[in-house]
Amino acid sequence: MDFKLIAIIICSILLVFLLFKEFSRNDKARLIWRILASIFSVASLLFLLIPLQYKTSAKQNLNEINLITEGTEPDSALKIKSAKYSLKNTEATELKHGKTIQIPDLFYFLKEHPEVNKINIYGYGLSLNELEKLKDFQLNFHPSNNITGIIDANWPNEIKTTAQFLLQGIYKNTESNTIKLLLNGLGKSIDSVNIKPNETVNFSFKTQPKQIGKAVFKLIALNGKDTISNEPVPFIVNEQAAMKVLILSSFPDFEYKFLKKWLFDNQYPLAYRSKISKDKYTTDFLNLSNVNLNSINQAALKQFDVLIIDEDEISSLSGAEKSTMQTAMNNGLGVIIRIANPKSSGFISDKFSRFEVPLQKDKGLIPIIKDDAKKFNKLPYDQRLFLKASENNQTIVIDNNAKILVTSKLNGLGKLTASTLSSTYNWMLAGNEADYSAYWSALLSKTARKKAKNLAFKVLPKIPVVNHRTNFVIDLAQNNKVPTIKMNGLVLAPRQNMELPFQWDVTNWPKTQGWNTLNINQTTASVYIYAKQNWQTLRNYSLIKQNERFVQNNLKQLSKAKISEQITVNEVSKWWIFITFILSTGFLWFESRVLRKN
Amino acid sequence: MQKTEGLNWLHNLRTKWIMYRLLHIIAISLAITLVLSAIAVNILNFSIWSAALIFLLIGTVILLLNPVWKKSDDDIARFVNYKYPEVEESAELLLLDAKELPMLQKFQRDKIEAIIPCLENPKEIQGKIYISGLILFIALFISYGISKIPAIKHNKNQPTEAQNLIPAIKENILPEIADFNLTILPPAYTQKASRKQKIFSIKLEDGAKVNWQIETNVAAKKLSFIFNDKEIINLKPKNNAKRDWEFSKTINKAGFYQVVVDGKKSDLYQIELIADLPVSIKITQPKQHTTIDIGQPQKFTLKANLNDDYGIKDAFISATMASGKGEGVSFTEKRLSFDTNFGNRKNVSLTKLFDLKSLGMKPGDELYFFIKAMDNHGQSSRSDVYFVSIVDTTELMSLSGMTNGVNLVPEYFRSQRQIIIDTEKLLKEQSSIPAEAFKTRANNLGIDQKLLRLRYGQFLGEENETEIGGDHDDHDEHVEHKGEEEKFGDVTAIMDKYAHKHDIAEDATFFEPEMKAQLKAVLTEMWNSELRLRTYKPQEALPYEYKALRLLKDLQQKSRAYVAKTTVKTASLKPEKRLSGELDKILQPVQKMNFEQKELRIKHLKNALSILESKRNGEKLSEDERFKLTETEKYMIVAAAENPASFLNALTSLRRLSAAKKVVVRDIDVAQSAIQKMIKAEPAKPQYKTTLPASTLYQSYFNNLNKSGR
Repeated sequence: MDFKLIAIIICSILLVFLLFKEFSRNDKARLIWRILASIFSVASLLFLLIPLQYKTSAKQNLNEINLITEGTEPDSALKIKSAKYSLKNTEATELKHGKTIQIPDLFYFLKEHPEVNKINIYGYGLSLNELEKLKDFQLNFHPSNNITGIIDANWPNEIKTTAQFLLQGIYKNTESNTIKLLLNGLGKSIDSVNIKPNETVNFSFKTQPKQIGKAVFKLIALNGKDTISNEPVPFIVNEQAAMKVLILSSFPDFEYKFLKKWLFDNQYPLAYRSKISKDKYTTDFLNLSNVNLNSINQAALKQFDVLIIDEDEISSLSGAEKSTMQTAMNNGLGVIIRIANPKSSGFISDKFSRFEVPLQKDKGLIPIIKDDAKKFNKLPYDQRLFLKASENNQTIVIDNNAKILVTSKLNGLGKLTASTLSSTYNWMLAGNEADYSAYWSALLSKTARKKAKNLAFKVLPKIPVVNHRTNFVIDLAQNNKVPTIKMNGLVLAPRQNMELPFQWDVTNWPKTQGWNTLNINQTTASVYIYAKQNWQTLRNYSLIKQNERFVQNNLKQLSKAKISEQITVNEVSKWWIFITFILSTGFLWFESRVLRKN
Repeated sequence: MQKTEGLNWLHNLRTKWIMYRLLHIIAISLAITLVLSAIAVNILNFSIWSAALIFLLIGTVILLLNPVWKKSDDDIARFVNYKYPEVEESAELLLLDAKELPMLQKFQRDKIEAIIPCLENPKEIQGKIYISGLILFIALFISYGISKIPAIKHNKNQPTEAQNLIPAIKENILPEIADFNLTILPPAYTQKASRKQKIFSIKLEDGAKVNWQIETNVAAKKLSFIFNDKEIINLKPKNNAKRDWEFSKTINKAGFYQVVVDGKKSDLYQIELIADLPVSIKITQPKQHTTIDIGQPQKFTLKANLNDDYGIKDAFISATMASGKGEGVSFTEKRLSFDTNFGNRKNVSLTKLFDLKSLGMKPGDELYFFIKAMDNHGQSSRSDVYFVSIVDTTELMSLSGMTNGVNLVPEYFRSQRQIIIDTEKLLKEQSSIPAEAFKTRANNLGIDQKLLRLRYGQFLGEENETEIGGDHDDHDEHVEHKGEEEKFGDVTAIMDKYAHKHDIAEDATFFEPEMKAQLKAVLTEMWNSELRLRTYKPQEALPYEYKALRLLKDLQQKSRAYVAKTTVKTASLKPEKRLSGELDKILQPVQKMNFEQKELRIKHLKNALSILESKRNGEKLSEDERFKLTETEKYMIVAAAENPASFLNALTSLRRLSAAKKVVVRDIDVAQSAIQKMIKAEPAKPQYKTTLPASTLYQSYFNNLNKSGR
């Protein structure tokens, strides 16, 4: 104010002086022009010192605000005529789309402006807990379209040894070049896929990792030789406990002999009972201590995860044994029945209906695992007996004419599997050990008793980022004891779920990037915390989806809009003023030096 | 002075003319040279200097064809006359001496002299300089294109074998070693000269001797070699200065070694072995099983190709003749040599004519033979065994085989024999009977043969007499069914109407497919013999008749199975114990076994992978991890000793990792991929399914569902 006043006074004095000089000059030619030039020059001098401002008013909906979030495209931002707001902590303000009004806290702002009831969100959107607080507002979401890269990816955090590691995802390529997507792990490239320009492609990589323990694979996107993104894919390979198998056979045959050997070689605990005569058995205990198996009892069955039995043996079971078996199955025991007759032998084998086809000569049999369409080598005999499809059954193995060979169904808590394949040992004889292993692995995996974990936890969000809020949702076996949870040695305070007493959750802002240890009671788990730049596209995309979903579920009608005028102060560029100054002073100089002489 | 000005102008014009033409010629010859030399250098592999030669050659040729320097001043003057009317056809005057000219000409000359310097240089003197420039440009492109044909370039530039044997690896050499020299003396069998190299990594033939000569720049107290991390050999200095060291060793195992100077170990250097392959033998003639039928010459030619990587020393045929039958079989072995001098050649093709008669073989005998070859390293190899047998006619004609066993077709069979006997009889009587009678009898035999063939054809379901064992498409028999009255409700009858029962497997496979094929072959032979008999050539028919008989006999033998008689000793039965139903004496055996895990290797390696993985962020190794990596190193040493080419680098990296303070990611990559190579692919193992921990809740939910009977 002082400066302005001083400047105005000095300039007025200067103007008065100049005008006086002009009037007092003898030569009165171009007097008006000179006076004008003097006034202009002094005025522009003044406005150089004090910026010239003017006010404009724009019509604006008072009930509505435009919220610019990260990822807003400059083009779409420019189209917004009315005032733009952005949150102070985001990087959106740095974008070159004109100025935004920064709001330190959105909810504080909304409390201050109770008339606002509609929010237009631009860009990637707001986080879920921010959105939750906007439930009572009408939301409009204008998602950012400039997303290119891996928009979705999924892989298991933990697998067992010899299992396949499957990484699947979606790549959206909006660029005009072909992108090469490469999975790199344990010091070498595992697999790659090319993504054509302007395509959105589902990709899938499958490998059998060879390590035991933690590893971080890398999913790399290459544009020619430039690395576009390099995302970590952390996972853990754990050793698995061997399942306990019980075989009850009515007579020894090659199938049992080979199965026994295979299980033994793979170090599975196995009990094998074969009938010699009535109530007389020969029993083998492999990798297992003795159990009395002369009669089937609850205690014995409890020890095993899978029971393999043939139909003849089922029919020779006593009633008590049958009911024992049924109870065991209700409690989760898995049973594989070897079916060899077209007629059922009662009890559980009733649950599978079967049919016979006429013998076809020298065709052989090619079994196929239905789930992953894995084709086995040919078995050198002809299969006549097949199982009928039923709606409660899950087909596991079929032949090449899609006739069912192995099927499984739920039975109590356990699974009941029936197989009509009688001579899989032919694979072993032909040296196809891989086929044999794959077949029996599939059967045993499908059937075996499910192992209850004593602990399970979930990390939210899916990609936890360093220094961001991360939630762990933990399921525990025991209900009522508060678990001690430590993250990298730091004790965290858990909160119990109101409805599910065994579920607890903790919130944490992890500090270190990479593998972090999470101690829950006595068990130690590992959690990978990602760096801020990891999986950017994926996180942005899921944020957009989250916002879209939230807005979709939260449609509200707006009451009548209040229109008000908003006044903006604009400043005239100093260049214009400077040019005016130069021109007017230039005229005065020219006039006095050049025109006056003539 | 005025006089020379016009003359100078003309001279200048001439020089320019010639210069432009020369430029033109140079450009064109350069263009041709570029293309030709591109071809010569890139495709024919000439030296780059040939380009200069080509250029000179082409330049002179064009110049000789186009002698531009011969352009005289007169020519120029004429051109000027033609081009510029201003000179009034008098440019030649400028060339003449002014003093000797008559007056009129002198005036004219002066006049032109004044005009000429004002004239512009004519455009024609530049000639086709632009065109030649264009040609040069195009040639530049073509030659560039030729030089980019890479395939030709590489094929011609194959390195010689000797270069191939020196491994192209960049090595780190101890700073203490001033100079070294390796002399590899290949073993005698390779017939190769010794070679020298300045690289520690060795690629050598099995059994080669290597001589190291090492010169250190300081007097070393001790210099030793470590082979495969086990065998340590201390070297002795050549002199007291302890700077020159020498060591020789015959190597017959792949692996790696290190040089140690005063306790300082060098890198690992690999030893790669080129094993000597045994002679490969390929017999192209005869087939593995050859039967010499009656009437065929009892000879055959053996053709074989022998191949070895260094040289074949010797080869011979080991032949075994089997004669006689049953218990009276006798074997005679013979060693037959090839009449060739092998002389350590790498590639030999051999032929040998076998005269079976001169070997003493009779009809019914069999010859088994194989070729055995030795290479100059003393490795021997042998071919498969080949069989040659001579058919015994007497055996064929005998009935001994037919009196027992399943007799499928006795009567027809006898008649084939009869036909042979008749044919032989006819041939014997040929000279004594008239030609007409001979022909009739031959024809009659042919008819017999035909009848026989047709009857056999029936076995195959043949209905047409023209067909030999072909499938029948004739459906005449169905017509017959039409006449039969239809029974109401007779399912089979109705089904017959629609089904094509004609080819039902049970009916058609009266014989096994193999037998069927052989029957067809019999029919073919019969056809052939019938043809000869009908055309009055019984002599030619005879071999076919015999072959048909032999095949028939084989066929008959096939339907028999032989089971050897064995002696069985059964425990004597106790009749009082039988069928009593008492089980109390029966024991219930219990076996117990535990799998002992001896192989911890895989587990070690797998753990090592994740240890290495966790060090990618540059973390230091803990003592425990370092110990585990040392364990892994032991396994890798074994792998590297067997296959240095693929594991030596990894071993170096692994050592660097466990020794160094700073972890280099590149080393981790190398070590990890090598460890993965050492772990074989494992078959899938059954996987447990898991349930969430709070299963008690779910279980009680399930139980409640069960109770309510849903």
